[in-house]
Amino acid sequence: MQPLLIYKGAEAEIYLETWQGESAIKKKRIPKPYRLKELDESIRRTRTSHEATMMHEVRRLGVPVPCLQHIDPDSSTIIMDYVNGPTLKVELNTLSAPGRRGRCKTLGEMLGQMHEGGIVHGDMTISNVLSEDGKLFMIDFGLGDFSREVEDKGVDLLLLNRAMKSTHYTIHAELFKAFLKGYARSVGRKTGIETLEKMKEIERRGRYFERG
Amino acid sequence: MHCLGIESTAHTFGAGVVTEKGEILSDVRDVYVSAPGTGIHPREAAEHHSEVAAQIITSALNQAGITASNLAGVAVALGPGLGPCLRVGATVARSLAAYFDIPLVPVNHAIGHIEIGTLTTGAKDPLVVLVSGGHTAIAAFSGRRWRIFGETEDITLGNLYDMFAREINLPSPAGPEIERLTQKAREFISLPYVVKGNDVSYSGLLTASLSKLKSGARLEDVCYSMQEVSCSMLAEAVERSLAYTGKKEILLTGGVAANKSLQSKLEEVAKMHDAVCHVVKSPFTGDNGAQIAWTGMLALRAGLVTSVDEARVRPRWRLEDVDIPWRAG
Repeated sequence: MQPLLIYKGAEAEIYLETWQGESAIKKKRIPKPYRLKELDESIRRTRTSHEATMMHEVRRLGVPVPCLQHIDPDSSTIIMDYVNGPTLKVELNTLSAPGRRGRCKTLGEMLGQMHEGGIVHGDMTISNVLSEDGKLFMIDFGLGDFSREVEDKGVDLLLLNRAMKSTHYTIHAELFKAFLKGYARSVGRKTGIETLEKMKEIERRGRYFERG
Repeated sequence: MHCLGIESTAHTFGAGVVTEKGEILSDVRDVYVSAPGTGIHPREAAEHHSEVAAQIITSALNQAGITASNLAGVAVALGPGLGPCLRVGATVARSLAAYFDIPLVPVNHAIGHIEIGTLTTGAKDPLVVLVSGGHTAIAAFSGRRWRIFGETEDITLGNLYDMFAREINLPSPAGPEIERLTQKAREFISLPYVVKGNDVSYSGLLTASLSKLKSGARLEDVCYSMQEVSCSMLAEAVERSLAYTGKKEILLTGGVAANKSLQSKLEEVAKMHDAVCHVVKSPFTGDNGAQIAWTGMLALRAGLVTSVDEARVRPRWRLEDVDIPWRAG
């Protein structure tokens, strides 16, 4: 099977192809003409090998991640298992209220598990979660990192909260609340509250934030 | 039908008059320039504004060929911005509204940058990239509000340049001078590139740039590398937001929109995603009264007026908290 371009993201092109007889996803980070060549090459190479490391580590924590098959930093390419399903961003629009709350709660548990294991996602949006027959998979770890800092965990919550707020603004409060419930289940109530408070603090740091 | 707009959120005191068709009849301003090596001193800027206010407003009305009593409304930027500066504009606007009995229209300064951008470029439904001393934000319109998709998590792009400039004794705003220095660069110095989702963080870049300078790197090379890294970071955040929202237009607006390197990077981003990149027309990159007048006109037609008693300044008024009834989407 010829590689078939199925999605063009901001950072990478996603191809569906065959790898050792099975359907697989090839993620290729493409050069950016707006970056100096040396800067661009170093960013793509670093993120590619970094993403592979993160996928492996997150999987070890028991969080569903597409299985890593192959990595080539020179061509900034990763090959991984194909997850056949929509992004959570898309799926949320098709679900009943209890259904979407359930998904967000599961996502909370997954991110909580990662944080408990000392890994932050770095680009936590509902576009970076795939849903295959109701099972959620975490993807896109290029900006992820090993960190137990509450600041970094707070950024994950902030990015997710903003992603929900900007596209699902009518139901955003309900979604984020369900997410927090799952998150607290993984990290414990105390850490959950601490991380949420940090998220609010980072938000306030933005220059314009009216109090009260 | 004419609307007067008053701008005094930061270093600029400006006044402008527009018609309901969006014709800009006047745009008069005066900029407080800080002493080299210092930033904007809010009280000194406010004193500057008080001194020039009467003359700027009179010129704006004269150039438009209109008297205050014939205005359909007086619009004022009540925030976000520096408290002492905002209060000058607010006081002047309240006085005019009360004395001539004209409707008073509260305007959010950031919305002003966006509306003048769409007016002067014809952008319809853009992903907005608002860059200035006070903002580095990526927003798109939906459900009567501009929704934020990405922004800086600490200092803004304008701040980065101004704070760097302060250390090397340049006056702010310093963007144009830094851009001029980049022309003489010889080499690229590696500096921290920090993108978090659709957000950027510039504080580490500021620290690293200053420390390179202190350890003997050429000023021109540091300026060039800092500009390259900061604009590439924002371009990447914009590209991510563009992919996320699926918008087909970018609108670059605000004071730092004048930066050529940023413009060309965003044009590249647009090209890669079959989108169009609009850049707010000069001289409306910088703060001005005309954009407040035009936003005021849109608000006035939608019936958004306030009473003189209630027109209080809002130094931290967020862009996403403004209800916009006049825009579809």
